[in-house]
This record gives sequence, structure tokens and C-alpha cells, in this order.
Amino acid sequence: MRSYNILIVGVGGQGLLTLGSIIGVACTIRGLDVAVAEVHGMSQRGGSVVIYVRIGEEPSPIMPVGSADHMLALELIEAARHIHHVRRMGYVTVNDFLWPPPLSVYPSRDQLISEVKTRDIKLHVVDANNMSVKITGSPISANIAILGYALGVDEFLRGLLGLDVIEKSLEEHFRGRALELNKSLLRIAFEEGLKRGE
Amino acid sequence: MLRPRGSKVLLLGNEAIARGALEAGICFASAYPGTPSTEIVEVLSEVAKECSIYVEWSVNEKVAFESAYGAAIAGVRSLTAMKHVGLNVASDILMSSAYAGVKEGFIVVTADDPSAHSSQNEQDNRWYGLLAHLPVLEPSNAREAYKLVKEAFKLSSKYKIPTIFRSTTRISHTRMPVELEEDIPVEKKCKGEFTIDYEKWVLVPAHTRRRKLVLLKIWETLREEDHYVTIYNQGLEKAVVASGLAYTYVKEALNLLNLTNRVTLVKVNMPVPLPRKPLLKTLEYAREILVVEELDPVVEMQLKDIAVSSGFKVNIRGKDLVPESYELTVEAVYIAIAKFMGVEDKLPWEGVEPIRLNPPIPPRPPVLCAGCPHRSTYYAVKVAANKARLRNVVYTGDIGCYTLGYQKPFETQMTCFEMGGSIGVAHGLAKVIENPIVAVIGDSTFYHAGIPPALNTVYNKSNVLVLVLDNMTTAMTGHQPHPGTGITATGETTIRVAPENVLCSLGFKVYIINPLRVKEAIEELTKAFEEFKRGANVAVVSRMKCALEVLRNARRRGVVLPIYTIIENKCTSCMACVKLTACPAIVIDLRSKKPRIESSLCAGCGLCAAICPYSAIIIANKPSENWETLWWSP
Repeated sequence: MRSYNILIVGVGGQGLLTLGSIIGVACTIRGLDVAVAEVHGMSQRGGSVVIYVRIGEEPSPIMPVGSADHMLALELIEAARHIHHVRRMGYVTVNDFLWPPPLSVYPSRDQLISEVKTRDIKLHVVDANNMSVKITGSPISANIAILGYALGVDEFLRGLLGLDVIEKSLEEHFRGRALELNKSLLRIAFEEGLKRGE
Repeated sequence: MLRPRGSKVLLLGNEAIARGALEAGICFASAYPGTPSTEIVEVLSEVAKECSIYVEWSVNEKVAFESAYGAAIAGVRSLTAMKHVGLNVASDILMSSAYAGVKEGFIVVTADDPSAHSSQNEQDNRWYGLLAHLPVLEPSNAREAYKLVKEAFKLSSKYKIPTIFRSTTRISHTRMPVELEEDIPVEKKCKGEFTIDYEKWVLVPAHTRRRKLVLLKIWETLREEDHYVTIYNQGLEKAVVASGLAYTYVKEALNLLNLTNRVTLVKVNMPVPLPRKPLLKTLEYAREILVVEELDPVVEMQLKDIAVSSGFKVNIRGKDLVPESYELTVEAVYIAIAKFMGVEDKLPWEGVEPIRLNPPIPPRPPVLCAGCPHRSTYYAVKVAANKARLRNVVYTGDIGCYTLGYQKPFETQMTCFEMGGSIGVAHGLAKVIENPIVAVIGDSTFYHAGIPPALNTVYNKSNVLVLVLDNMTTAMTGHQPHPGTGITATGETTIRVAPENVLCSLGFKVYIINPLRVKEAIEELTKAFEEFKRGANVAVVSRMKCALEVLRNARRRGVVLPIYTIIENKCTSCMACVKLTACPAIVIDLRSKKPRIESSLCAGCGLCAAICPYSAIIIANKPSENWETLWWSP
């Protein structure tokens, strides 16, 4: 069986590890085998971070370049940097947020988006930071918004992991008010994605 | 971690190792944190009280090893864990422990880091098994790590010698669902007894020579173990031997190539010593064998030895087809196997074209976090060095987040080799070069391996300024406590050994600075540098908490930290704040070409405001009254 590959990219500190773990726990609840390969230590400090999530039977940790079925990107430069990891006709759900590295010269938001658009992919640019701010008061939950939205647009992923399973997984990651806020953010982003996906 | 038998849980490889060890009945675990090994003992420390086991963060890997070994020679099952280079620090006791052996199961986990994601090298620690004559077990994935740890304890108990358990980054830091086979035993042996046995525990030459023969006898018996090799499709002309994680990639590549049924597949979980019996069988049938393993040809070399000494004429291939550098990937293994089998090696997947733009996608190496006190210290140090007219300063460096100071604009890390090396190397340099030398070391690293070289600089009279960056935690590995925190791994309060007290007793005049108060820090540092210029033994401790901890505590306790903003019409675009801090929270707006502070990223350290020559940077919000205490109180 071929695995379903989700690539999570962004900048260290954007909640990428949590996002990988949320999907991993959801798979476990669903009884699916999965491998979530993370990056810890120095590379986490504001650097470019890549997390591989492979849903399949005893998957190996690193997915081949060009085999990602869905890329969840928390930042625009990182989305562009890793676009070649995505297979043709794969999904890219990217946060509409540009965070340039310090002291760097960098392409503009519009340049990045219009270039990524020309690739043979299903691109969704989502203002996940703003969605998170609206619900939680800070952009800290942009990762949850991206996941909800991705679930809305990607029917296959939705079939693998329903919204209810992700919610159950959130219960293992958050408590109290944070859990409630993340649940409602997930749902709102999901509905948005569902609308756009049709 | 503590769920009952039968539960299916998603575990990080390191958590799987910890759970396996708990099920095996350990009562003692010790480690010094190091990526990718940290979480093993971290999760054990979290459940220590509930499981009634002893867990500690030791000051370094040598001490961690000795401690766990002490428990094992008294008959208590124990574990020590470290990153690959940590085993170098502990290698002295490793070698001796093989000779003396143990009374109960003792596992040395080495978490290697192929591709050096977070390390100074990518050494293959399976060699240590050959060097010490100790068995090495390696799992093929995170889930198997859980089962194999329990096997490792059995092996160690059976032969009464330490067992090396080799993990790698992609095992330690991959999460997989694990079905728990056993409960954690309630009854376990936590009290040992030490039996005096001079011939065994006292390695004087006469005893050592006898123990060597015992060790070699065990070694030969270990070679006959056939538990740790699994063979699929025995009897074919082509065979692939895969050790540890490589097996997972081989399985996937064979599947993609549709070759699964055309090769004998040999899965090795004990690369050292390579079990002879099962491999002799494969050698009997196979004409050609490909060995796939990450990093060095440890299995390949032993297999060739077995083939030659048994008279088999088999073509054994390995590192001529499989890369010897960096971690393996499905692609690398796919191509190696395709070549070995003589089939087309074109990859069966095709991604979209990479992006090429002008300006190009900028690289994003790791950087000091927004608000990191090291940034403020480095800025203050450079300004003060200038003020004190210290020219061409050589900054020797060490292992920690602060190593990132090698980057512009700081350039305050000019060497980085190993733990504690900043001071030792500085001493040698000081004896042969004229430049002033500042040895920069973090607090945890100072306790780990900085004290002996600091003592050496004083004793052997070199002029080195020791700068301890004290953020009161082991930051890079995720904030573990150390002797300077006054807290143990399990949260108990203990004696706090401040770095300035150690340095004072070694004979240093110590200056303590607060890098958040930039101006005062510069003044104090200038004084320190001037005294250093006069030839005194000077040390500086720059003390401020890690910004990540401060941000987390602020969130938890509802404290509002200051957030800075740049007043646009006061800003002249001089770029001092950008160029002198390289703070990730300051971005240059493409349209206005002016710097802007990304409020969601600002941690409120205030360095940029202290630097701005036009006073254009101000606090934008209303911080809590007590916000500053978060930066230094525990």
C-alpha cells in the first residue's frame, strides 16, 4: 500500500511539532499506522523546519522528494522553498504570512504566491494567523487553522481522518480554555476549507 | 507513558525506549541531555515518582554512565542515555565496564545523528561495540525500539555485560503507534548490594588480563546468538542485508521496485558482533550480496570477514553503492538496489519544479530567538571590547544555542568543537598568539566540561577571559535543570552551585552582568576587559533567563510582556536595529524600506530600543507591572 504523505513546513517555533503530533495521534485513534518524523534541537531555533507525516503500513520516516500528497505550510517562503517535495496535483495549504529571515533579501508575498500558483498543484492561501487571532487573541494557533482548512479542501485526507478524530486528538494536546478555543478554530477553518474545496 | 497493557499509543522513538525500559524493570536512569537522545530520560524523570524509580540529570555523560553503572554492579537494572558524541565523553568507563561486567541488566543508549542535524559530527557509534567488545542492538523503527530495548536488557542480564542500544535521529525523533505489551512492573529491584570482588571490580593489570579472556569468551558466544537476525526468502542468488533503520528503507524500496520476492532479505538488529550462523546460511546460497546500512560499513566489513574466513566466494557490495555520508533516504536506497539488481533506477515519483525567483528564496539557518539574552550579551561584549580598546579579539566557542553567535553581526564564536572546548582551546591559543582571547561558554556546558579547563588556565597561567552565558537552564535541549538551578530532574530542590562561586574559588575575579540592562552591562564589561588587559584572571557571568522560558511563563501566568514598535516618522532607516541585532522579530518592509517590528514575535527584551540612535523604538503596549521579574526569578 502506498502511504499518504503530509509535509509540514514552516519556521521553528510556529507549532509544527504540535501539528505533526495532532495528526499522528488522530491516526492512532483511527487505527492507522503512521510515522511522524520531527526535528529537534538547534535546527528548531528559528530555522527552516520540515516534518514528515506518512500514513501507511510501517512507513519509513523520510518521504521521497516529490511524493508529498499535501503540504501544510505555516509560512510563505518555506512553502516556496519546499514546493518540489509536492507531487503533481498534490495539495498545498499555506498560511498567508511572510516571515523573512533576519538580514535577508527576499521575494515579495505577491511574487511568491504568483510563482507557486504556476505549479501543477492545488494551492490554497489562507490567512491562518488572522483566523487564529480572531478566535484565540494571538497567532499561536495558526497551525490548527491550517489543519482545519486542509481537512476541508482535501477530500481524501478527510476520509482518512474526520473532523471528529482531529477533535479527539486535540483533547490529548490541550486542556481547558485552550482546548475549547482550538476546537472552535478548527471547526471554523474546516468550514471555510469545505466551502473553498467545492 | 503509563498506560496499561493493550493500549495503543503514539510514542516518540525516545518515549518508546523509555517505556520499554520501564517494562523491563529499570529502577535507575541517568543522562546528560543531548539531541537526539534527550527525551528518553526526560520522560523517565516525569514519571519517576509515580513509578518509584530514581532518575537524574547528571553533570555530564561520563558521570551519567558511571552512576547507572554503579547501580548495575549492585544488581539494579539501569539505563544511561546520551547522544553519539556524549559516548566519547563516557568512553573511558565504557571500555572498563566491558572488562568488569555487571550484575544486572545495564543499557547504554547512544542516539546517533546521521546528517548531523544537531551535532558537530555524524560518527557511527556501532564502532564502540567493536572497540569495547560489547554487543550493539539497533531497531529498524521507533516501534521496534520499544520491543528491542526489552531484548537488550535480557541480553545484558544473560551475559552480565553492558549492552549498547543504538538509535538514530530518525528513530528517536519519529512518532509511531505502539501497542503496549506489558504493564510496568510494580515490584522491581531497587535496592542492590555491593559484593566485594577485587578480581572483578579492580582493574589492575593482573586482573585486567584475566578479565580480557572472560570478555573474549562472551564475545565469541555472542557471535553465535541468532535471535537478532531475521531472514526473508532464504535461498535466493541475490541478497540484501539491512541493519537497523536501513531495513525500513530497503523494504519500501524493494516494494516500489517490485523486487520483494526476488531477493533474500536479511534484517539485522545486532550489527555488533554480527551473528555468524544465520549469515553463513545466506552466504551459502547467495552469489551477490548488498549491505545497506546508515553511515559506516560496520556490518559490511564483518560480513566480508565471515565470508573470507569461511571460504565463500561471494561478491559483497555496500558502500560502493550506498552513501557513507548523511542519513539514508528511500531515494538513495532505491537507486542502490536498482543498480545492484541491474534494473532501471529512474525514481517512480515526480514532484513539481522547484522555485527560482529573483531575489532568490533566502536561506533560513537557525538563529538566536527574538528576545534571546545571548543576543544582548554579544552586542554588549562587542561594544565593551571596543571601548576597552581590545583589538582583534578571538572568541573561542562552545556547544549550545549561543554557538549561533558565529553568524553576523555577532561573530563571537570562532571555534566550536566539543563540550568545554572553548576554554581548553583558548588556553592553548593564548600561549601562542598575541590576540586577546575570550572563551564563551554556556552555563550547562560550563558544569559539564568547563571547570577542569578553567582550572587549567589559572594553574598554567594563560590570559583568557572566561565568559559564562548563564540562562539558568540547559536551553538548547529543551530546558533541563543543572547544578546551577537548585532543582533536580524530578523537581526536588537541592544545593545551587552558582558559576561565579566555582570561578571565584578557582581564582578568577568575577563580574556579573544583566544583559537586559544594556548600558550598565556595557559599563561593567568594559571594567572587566580593562582588568583583563592588565593580566588578571577575569571571568564574566552574564545572567538572564532563556526567552523561550520567559514567554512560556508569561503565557501561563497571564503576565503581559512589553512589545516594542518603531515610530515610522522618527525612523531614518539607518538600519542600526536590523544590522546590530539580527533579531527575527524585526523585518524590513519591502514597500517603505523601513524596519518594522512584527509584534507577534517581539519578546520585549528592549535591545533594539537601547540601540536606536533616534529613540524611534518604544513600547507599544501596556506591560504588567512585574513583567521584568519573569526574566530572572525561577
